[in-house]
Amino acid sequence: MTALLEMRDVHVSFSGFQAVAGLNLTVEQGELRCLIGPNGAGKTTALDAICGKARAAAGEILYRNHDITRWQEYLIARLGIGRKFQVPSVFKDLTVRENLRVAYCKKLGVFHNLVRGHNGDSVDGLEKLAELVGLKDELHRPARRLSHGQTQWLEAALLVAQDADLILMDEPTAGMTSAETHKTAELFNRLKGRHTLIVVEHDMGFVREIGDTISVMHQGRILAEGKIAEIEQNPEVKRAYLGSGGISGA
Amino acid sequence: MKPSNYARWRLAGYLLFCVVIMIFPLILNNDYLLNKYMRYLVFGILSAALSFSWGYTGILNLGQAVSFGLGSYAMAMALKLRTIPIQTGAKGLPDFMVWNNVKTLPWFWEPFHSYAFAIFAGVAAPMLLALLLGWFMFRGRITGVFVAIITLAMLVVVNLLIIDQQKYTGGFNGITDLTTLKLFGITFDAYSSNTYYLIAGTLCVVLLGGLAITQTKTGLILQAIRDDENRVRYFGYDVAAYQNFAFTVSAGIAGLAGMLYTLVMEFASPTFLAVPLSLSIVIWCAVGGRGSLIGAALGAILVTGVQGNLSESPTFLDTWMLVMGAIFIAVVLFLPKGLISLIDIAVEALNRRRNRAHGGQSKRPTMNMNDVALQGSKPMREV
Amino acid sequence: MADTLNQVFTGLSIASILLLVSLGLAIIYGTMGVINLAHGEFVMLGAYSVWFLQKTFGLNLLICVVFAFFMVAGVGWLIERLIVQHLYKRPLDTILATWGVGVILQQSIRLSAGAKLRYIKMPNWLTKAVPLFGVDVSAYRIFIFALTVALLAFTYFLITRTRYGFRLRAVTQNAEVARCFGINAARVYGLTFAYGAGLAGVAGALIGPLKSVAPDMGTSIVVDAFMVVVVGGVSSLLGTVASAGLLGELSGLLAYLYNDTLAKALVFFGVVILIRFRPEGMFTVRVRRG
Repeated sequence: MTALLEMRDVHVSFSGFQAVAGLNLTVEQGELRCLIGPNGAGKTTALDAICGKARAAAGEILYRNHDITRWQEYLIARLGIGRKFQVPSVFKDLTVRENLRVAYCKKLGVFHNLVRGHNGDSVDGLEKLAELVGLKDELHRPARRLSHGQTQWLEAALLVAQDADLILMDEPTAGMTSAETHKTAELFNRLKGRHTLIVVEHDMGFVREIGDTISVMHQGRILAEGKIAEIEQNPEVKRAYLGSGGISGA
Repeated sequence: MKPSNYARWRLAGYLLFCVVIMIFPLILNNDYLLNKYMRYLVFGILSAALSFSWGYTGILNLGQAVSFGLGSYAMAMALKLRTIPIQTGAKGLPDFMVWNNVKTLPWFWEPFHSYAFAIFAGVAAPMLLALLLGWFMFRGRITGVFVAIITLAMLVVVNLLIIDQQKYTGGFNGITDLTTLKLFGITFDAYSSNTYYLIAGTLCVVLLGGLAITQTKTGLILQAIRDDENRVRYFGYDVAAYQNFAFTVSAGIAGLAGMLYTLVMEFASPTFLAVPLSLSIVIWCAVGGRGSLIGAALGAILVTGVQGNLSESPTFLDTWMLVMGAIFIAVVLFLPKGLISLIDIAVEALNRRRNRAHGGQSKRPTMNMNDVALQGSKPMREV
Repeated sequence: MADTLNQVFTGLSIASILLLVSLGLAIIYGTMGVINLAHGEFVMLGAYSVWFLQKTFGLNLLICVVFAFFMVAGVGWLIERLIVQHLYKRPLDTILATWGVGVILQQSIRLSAGAKLRYIKMPNWLTKAVPLFGVDVSAYRIFIFALTVALLAFTYFLITRTRYGFRLRAVTQNAEVARCFGINAARVYGLTFAYGAGLAGVAGALIGPLKSVAPDMGTSIVVDAFMVVVVGGVSSLLGTVASAGLLGELSGLLAYLYNDTLAKALVFFGVVILIRFRPEGMFTVRVRRG
């Protein structure tokens, strides 16, 4: 069976700096892959390359046999790839409810949404989703008034609403308490299987809770790959993280 | 206030406004004043059109006057060709063409013998131009600031072109001495209530229709684009198509307003296609409330109404413009959502007082994993 | 041959005027990200200050130019401190506010100096035509060209060799980090805006004798200047120079073939097509903004 996502020898550079230098990554359908690595390893850039935010200078990115390397980001999104960014990006001037409505993006055409826009946006589903992330009472509130934690939940809800097959998450637990992190792990574990997830993370406790396979990036390419136990024993990984007290303290 | 109540009150406000402007002629018995008020209403349509593009979608069209002017010229051309022979000179040519030694009617004037074509062109020409310019700008991912500059540049260029090609367009003087529009047996004289009802009716349709559009999913996406256009792309929406839609619809409505303006003023002039007017539109929209169709319309009516009632002398107008410039800056700095947002601020204050009276409640965000099951798989994605 | 040379010289003259007018705008936009729609009015103010000084004190044009620089720079500094500094986080609103400022400036002049066209006298020793490679070129235009080059060199020196220029570059790259190093970003912004305005004032003073002076002369100028900035990109002075050169020669040629209006229209269409396929301008290197 062909993999869902395959990155072959991908290079991405910014003004001469090679953020991603020869990245090879294969992700199977239904997986929950964690992408970890020291700062500057190129993890976020790897996600950027997949979803079309950054242009790969060389290499190939294949998704379900489509070569999406040079595709524009909205076309990539239509194939079923969703992205959560490091910097919270919800629509600040829209209410929570409106944010969620935007994320229900099965129908994308201007004229379709003009005349029959409400079909496919089940109000019921939207309210259940809001309840799932604890925002049921905030549906009318403009997103800029939400707390940091609430914003993170809203972002997660947007991704669930988008119902992408491949979901790219960039540091989803940043700024969360351990209770919130635990709940996020539960959510991810429920999502995997039907969805495929690639999660960039620093919190090793979280990674341990959710990760099957872990890919470690360093200096723009994959350093090691395997289950959490193997990774923790890997001497090269330890060296890459040198100075951070080993990956358990990363 | 609950959201559904807010929507109801807003609709009531729009309807009330429509009723007021429609019954206005019954109260007023002065034809000259009626003509003045018609002008203000036309500006209201124009300002509301800009609000659709700017306030809702974030596209600041500094060249809105281009669409307005094109519409106005379209109507003027049609009326000119029907003006009695004394005005049009020999061989049915408009007088300014005769003065410029033009021998035959240019091909692009010919279709304007038909009112149907003229009315169609008055709306379609601005829309086509907007579509074309929009294709270049939005597909090129040009952002808000540069869109503003380019639309301004387009305005300057079109203005120069119209003045330059005076043998076809009447140059500085524009197209004057027009006959009165007679359509479906109704005469639309500049001082008759027929014209007033036409304009007021159009304003009502634009406001209510526009409100309806903003309530659709498309309207929502437009606002999301204003908020963060890049984020919208990552959901799969073709942002350029939506931007083009808003930009083009706004241009079409402005063209419509232009045609009505020719009826009110009884001429078309390059000043309808000029920077001072475009600037004024932006000011009305900003002062009234760029994010609200009715706010924008009220802004136009208020500003031009006050201006019209104070004086018509050139010195006054210059001073007025200076004062408006200052008010504009003040609005941009301190009240960016315009005067209409004062309503929202008042409602907020009332809500806060009511909440405090009932004892505030704050909730910690929690996730309810147990009670709720995630939805099953959804049908295939369609575009 | 003489015809071509004439064309080239005309184009160069137009290009130098374009550069003169755009330099201030490019600096302000490039360093502060501020689109100053009042730029045309700054040019207009420069022209009017010269007219006023000539009328009242009978001063020589060249002295008036110096005064114009400082007068308009002062106005620019005031505007930055009072209005622009509050809007750095809102670029679209900066456009609006500066447009409003432009209106106020235009109306003030209209009310004080009147809407009639005014004329500025060229210094006598520059009114002749100078033969250059067999073509007669206006001495005044050569003078403008030379002065533009001098101003360009001075600006380059200012930005690369002085302490102010160093701070300016730091703040442009990353204002937050620059502040951490003790650089007073607010003061840098104020001075930069003033400098850009002053340059516009000089431009107005110099082009005054060539075109007639009117309160609304600014609009067309600001559009031209923006075309230069859009094509040239904002990362480097060189880009602005190259862009002004290109657009200057192009307008000159088109104006010769058709007329001024058509030239402007064609250049505009050219720019629109260009940005569709190369939105960052023709001469930009991609740089991270702070």
